[in-house]
Amino acid sequence: VVIACPGPVTDLVESHDKRFLFVACACRVYRVSSQLLESRYEPSSRRWRDEFLSIFLAFAEEGVLSLLLVGSVLLTLSQRRSSWTLTLYGSSDYEVLRSVSLASGVVHNETGTRRRPPLTCVRSSAATPPPSASSSVSDGCLCLEPILFKRLFGIDAALAKSPVVLCGLPDGRLCFLPLRPPGSRLAVLHSLEQPVVFVGASGVTDNGRGHARCLVAVGEQGKVVLIQAEKGGAEGGADRTGFTEGCVPGPVACGCVDEKRLYYSTGSDLLVLDLPEESPERDGPSVEKSRVTHAALQSPSSLNVCRVLALAPPTREVELLGLSARGQLQRITLPVDRGDAGWPNAPSTPGGRGVRDLLSAIGDVCERAAALKAAVKSKNQILRRLNQVLNICFLLTADTNTGERDKPIGCRATASWSRLLEEDSLTLTCVLDNSSPYVLERGWTLSVAASPLSGPPAAGGQSPSAHFSFPFHGLHPGETLEVSLPLAAAGQSSLPVTASCSLSFSLAGLLGEEAAALPGLQPGCVSLPLNTLTVDWLHALRVTSPAHGKTPPQSGNTSDAIQAFLRSRRMGCGGAAEAGGERGRHAASVRVSAESLRDARALRASDADAPPDVGLSLLEWLLSEALGGVSAGRRRGDGNVVVAEGRRGEEEETTPTAVEVQVESSSVAAVCGLHHAVLTRIQVPEVTESGALSFSMVSRERLLQRIQQSRVSGAFGVGVSTGTVCQSLLSVYQELRENPLIVI
Amino acid sequence: MFTSGLLWLPYTKRGKVQTKIARRFSQNSDSRCNKMHQPLSLFHKWIQENNELVNKWKEQEGGDTLTRDQNQNHTCLVWHSSEFHKLCRKIQGIAPIADHTQLELTVVYNAGVCLIAQSQFLEAESLLTKATERILQMTGDGPFASDPPVFWKTALKSVGNTALNRCVMHLLCLQWAIWLATCKLQTIQELQNELLSVFETLSSGVWDEEGSAPRTKSSDIALPVMDQRRLIELLQICTFIAQGAERLSEGRSSEALSGLQSASSLPAPRTLISYTHLLSGSCLAHMSRPQMALQCYRMALETDSQCVCALYQSMLIYRQLGNTQAEIQALRLLHSTLMLPAAKEPSPAGVHLLPSSLLLQSQSLSSLLSVPSALSVLHSLALKCVLHERVAEGVEYYLDLLAALHSEDQHGVHAAGPPLPKLPELYLQAGAALLMARRPADCMALCDEVITTTLELLPGKVVLKEPEECEAETRALCEEVEDGVGMLLWVGAAYLLQGHCHTHLRDWKQAVTTYTRCFNLLVKVRFKKRGCQPQIPSADMMSMQGTDLCILQRLKGLSLAGRGISFTQTDQLREALRDLQLSIQAFPGAGLWCGEVLWRLGRKQEAVACWERTWSFTPHFSELSLAVYLQEPQSGPLLDSTELRRRIEELSPI
Repeated sequence: VVIACPGPVTDLVESHDKRFLFVACACRVYRVSSQLLESRYEPSSRRWRDEFLSIFLAFAEEGVLSLLLVGSVLLTLSQRRSSWTLTLYGSSDYEVLRSVSLASGVVHNETGTRRRPPLTCVRSSAATPPPSASSSVSDGCLCLEPILFKRLFGIDAALAKSPVVLCGLPDGRLCFLPLRPPGSRLAVLHSLEQPVVFVGASGVTDNGRGHARCLVAVGEQGKVVLIQAEKGGAEGGADRTGFTEGCVPGPVACGCVDEKRLYYSTGSDLLVLDLPEESPERDGPSVEKSRVTHAALQSPSSLNVCRVLALAPPTREVELLGLSARGQLQRITLPVDRGDAGWPNAPSTPGGRGVRDLLSAIGDVCERAAALKAAVKSKNQILRRLNQVLNICFLLTADTNTGERDKPIGCRATASWSRLLEEDSLTLTCVLDNSSPYVLERGWTLSVAASPLSGPPAAGGQSPSAHFSFPFHGLHPGETLEVSLPLAAAGQSSLPVTASCSLSFSLAGLLGEEAAALPGLQPGCVSLPLNTLTVDWLHALRVTSPAHGKTPPQSGNTSDAIQAFLRSRRMGCGGAAEAGGERGRHAASVRVSAESLRDARALRASDADAPPDVGLSLLEWLLSEALGGVSAGRRRGDGNVVVAEGRRGEEEETTPTAVEVQVESSSVAAVCGLHHAVLTRIQVPEVTESGALSFSMVSRERLLQRIQQSRVSGAFGVGVSTGTVCQSLLSVYQELRENPLIVI
Repeated sequence: MFTSGLLWLPYTKRGKVQTKIARRFSQNSDSRCNKMHQPLSLFHKWIQENNELVNKWKEQEGGDTLTRDQNQNHTCLVWHSSEFHKLCRKIQGIAPIADHTQLELTVVYNAGVCLIAQSQFLEAESLLTKATERILQMTGDGPFASDPPVFWKTALKSVGNTALNRCVMHLLCLQWAIWLATCKLQTIQELQNELLSVFETLSSGVWDEEGSAPRTKSSDIALPVMDQRRLIELLQICTFIAQGAERLSEGRSSEALSGLQSASSLPAPRTLISYTHLLSGSCLAHMSRPQMALQCYRMALETDSQCVCALYQSMLIYRQLGNTQAEIQALRLLHSTLMLPAAKEPSPAGVHLLPSSLLLQSQSLSSLLSVPSALSVLHSLALKCVLHERVAEGVEYYLDLLAALHSEDQHGVHAAGPPLPKLPELYLQAGAALLMARRPADCMALCDEVITTTLELLPGKVVLKEPEECEAETRALCEEVEDGVGMLLWVGAAYLLQGHCHTHLRDWKQAVTTYTRCFNLLVKVRFKKRGCQPQIPSADMMSMQGTDLCILQRLKGLSLAGRGISFTQTDQLREALRDLQLSIQAFPGAGLWCGEVLWRLGRKQEAVACWERTWSFTPHFSELSLAVYLQEPQSGPLLDSTELRRRIEELSPI
């Protein structure tokens, strides 16, 4: 019969007469008759479940984790909000006899599942008649040597011949509660400081008394505590209880003990630990003894059985029952002679059983070998990837040191308008170009931080910046990666915007998912700056994409977006500009000397078929140049809002000394932005040229002198009338108006 | 007493009637709703929701409360609480409207009751204050003081005599309950006048309201989850009891007495009435009027037969009066009452929600009401019997006690109180009692058990420290040492008792061996004086009785005397004389036997001197204060004093 319990079962105990099974499950305890389990009755599942709930329910207990049956008393250990509660029920009528609580301490293993805290019962062997069997277990209770029992649990418990309940809590405390005399309290015996996994008794003497001389507790992280009675030395030290602590490697999943050995499973292996034998005279120098004990605890030997989740103590001399994670029930034959290597010996019994055992042992070894191989392979993989990462790191950092050469890995970008969700937005399309010989593998991330150069400060006082990161799955040499990021919706951005690109690599990505799940792991990250791009007004006003060449197809969509954008700028200027309308057109102009322009054009020698028209080529260059990696299309004056064009008037002269670029718009913001953009573009090539002084600078200095002169005379007021000062200043002003500053 | 019982009956009935009416109303409203096919207004919907919740709770409560387990009840309460809260939030989601206030305050009241029942006092308090503030803002009053008494005073004043008055008063009642449960008696005292007026208004006016209730439209009234009138009566008497206990613990007995006596005539459950009688008795006992106190305790018991505390207090008074027989009688009654399974009194409906135990949580009251556990009572009963010449009875009690300690039945252990003595101590006492009852074999068996259990654990060397020094040291170390000494003294006493048993059986040889074992064990103890080396304590170092040192000396004296007497019986007079002379130093009672040995040795003058000295000696502490197993054995060979005097007279003429 298969019974579906209403929730995960936390614990299961059998009554002493084997007639009932107590099941702790989902805050309730059920009592199921064993006869029913053996019967062939096949109930329909749905009704069966309801019946199960109603018929077998013994009592409800919040947060019940463990059960223990001692005599006629059923004990439950449950976890309430902030305490552990041990409740005693009469096993016939489930009346609460007593309830003892202990404030819960810090639970060390927070990530782990709620494991069943070990709950065992201990008796003094003096209190029970020696059982006929040589086993130390009688009616579920461990029998302990009287002297150890008295030392640990007190005279009262010994005199009352009381069973003592031992429980190992997940917060590491090992507690005990004597059931008699009534009124005794729950007390802490020891603290392992890690969740207690197993509590048992070992060191059974073979002289037929059948009691254990040593209490063993094992913690989840491998701490083993042996509790023994120690005779004081000859020099009269008091007798005391010895707590020997040791540590074994590995997370302990489960354990069991027999007379001399502790078996425990780490999940990947089953290990045997020889418990230190108590010397018969018991009075050796305690220091040496503890050293011996400690050494013994250090060296467990492997049985080469993996994935064991639960163990039953040896029923016979050499056999152990184990339940594996795959649901296999295994009978593990223990090596009889501890002298030879820790390999499960096939028992000498004849026939197929030996072969079967051998086969199962081989299967186990194979399984282990496969697991190890997989681990090695994954580690190699990680190392290889790490190597790639380091190579790329060195490549990128070395470049910044040697100079401004083009990096083998770089970023280009194009700005364009696009319409998304009924809203136009300026989109920056970044292209990551991997021209290095290395592969950018999984784990790399391209991050772009877009921050406006000037803008209204955000609430925090910092300029608002947006960060975008694009993890990618591998970029082979020569490949490119194209990503798009929204810079701003129309009317929300403040141009120009600086976009800093960088490549980053997270170390956590190397370790895979299992490492990422660790709560304490700090995400380590390598970040390599690539280059910085600027998106300014000129990019924003681009109408066509460069791919379309010089004939601008008037895409209504794009120009609409630009119109909207410009309109929003005008709004930003306040009511005055709006009211001004057509009247208040603002203009700004930049003059560039033709010489420097020619030099600049000479730099761009590739543009061989450039038109001889200097002004046109300048305009074209301004609008299409790929400086800073952002390429923009050619743009003509569009409509009534912006006019920015080369003045042909200047060109008409046979030897043009300068080209004037005029920006004109009804919006101050647009004019300012465009002016700034044009200036920065012109300035950048100028920096690269030799700094030749312009003749116009000389005339400017002359003008400055004249202003200073008139100011000095005005200040002293010597013979000069204010009228003449005004005249002089006016002439200076006119001269300035006529000959605006030319950028060389 | 009976009047109060009768007073309660109608309440129960009324509760049921009310429930029925409410149920019918809700059905009516349902059917009407169906007929009209139109949704109820929000207001009516809320009322309906509230009333459904209340009815559900009452149905549940009225059901099988006795069989229901605590857990389920609690989850049910939590559910109701959250439901009321949800409803409350819904109502408070809109701005306060005058029409809704009565409904809103009733829902707040219901939610508050549920919170208090779960002991979430802080949450309840903030709920009440916020709701009241909200209502008062609607009436247009300004900001309110944060000090609770001032707040409520102004609240009551600003509501004035409007219809809201009653609702605010109900909330104040809940606040009162919170103060009571959190033992803020000072605040209650401050608001005494207001609370009294609230009490008077509510306890007198409800009837009128109930009379007019059917006249108004039934579905317009939101039902309370707990009857307010019941609540205020409960609060009134609980306040009296808590105040009485507080005053009593502060020593203002006469003040407390007047309050308690006025409270005893209030309508209330039996348990609470019996508390008032009990506390009055305690006040009288404090005012040294033991007889009147006994009267009060009797009244308490007559009111509520479950009031074991009254029995316990009367026992203490008998003990104080020195009336041993009455004391033993009271102890016996107390024990049998404690062993009875606690009868679950069916409490009237509506009181489950706020039981009086929730409102009476003050430290002083619980210390006044505490009763030692049944086992502890049984132990005092046994000891009293043994010490007061009712040995046979005492032995039976001791055997009962030991059986109870060995049984797995954990009944009657929960009560706090003085812990039982350690088990070996009990064994020794029982052994001594058995010996007194002339059952040496049983005594020997008990002593054997103590010896076998303890002997292994005895340390090789024990150092007994001066108590003053002991306190200076760390407590843990001190306890450990004491434990060693204690165990040694237990084993010593067990050997001594066994020696007495052998003496009783006239097995002199065995007696000598056992006494020797006892003595050998005792000399292991070294006494450490401050600044000195540990030494074997000498007889002149008599110290305070009851200390380990005193017990040690007593044991030494008794064991030496016992061995001396045994030697005397086997005619080993020299050894006998040596032991008895040593014994006299620690235990003067051996003087008579010492004289006897001297007499037999022919040193008659010395013998007479020895006898005279013994008779003239007055023990400087009472034998009764010693543990029962350290008293002089009464079962061994005895010397007749008159016979000795005759001998002296025979000697003197010569």
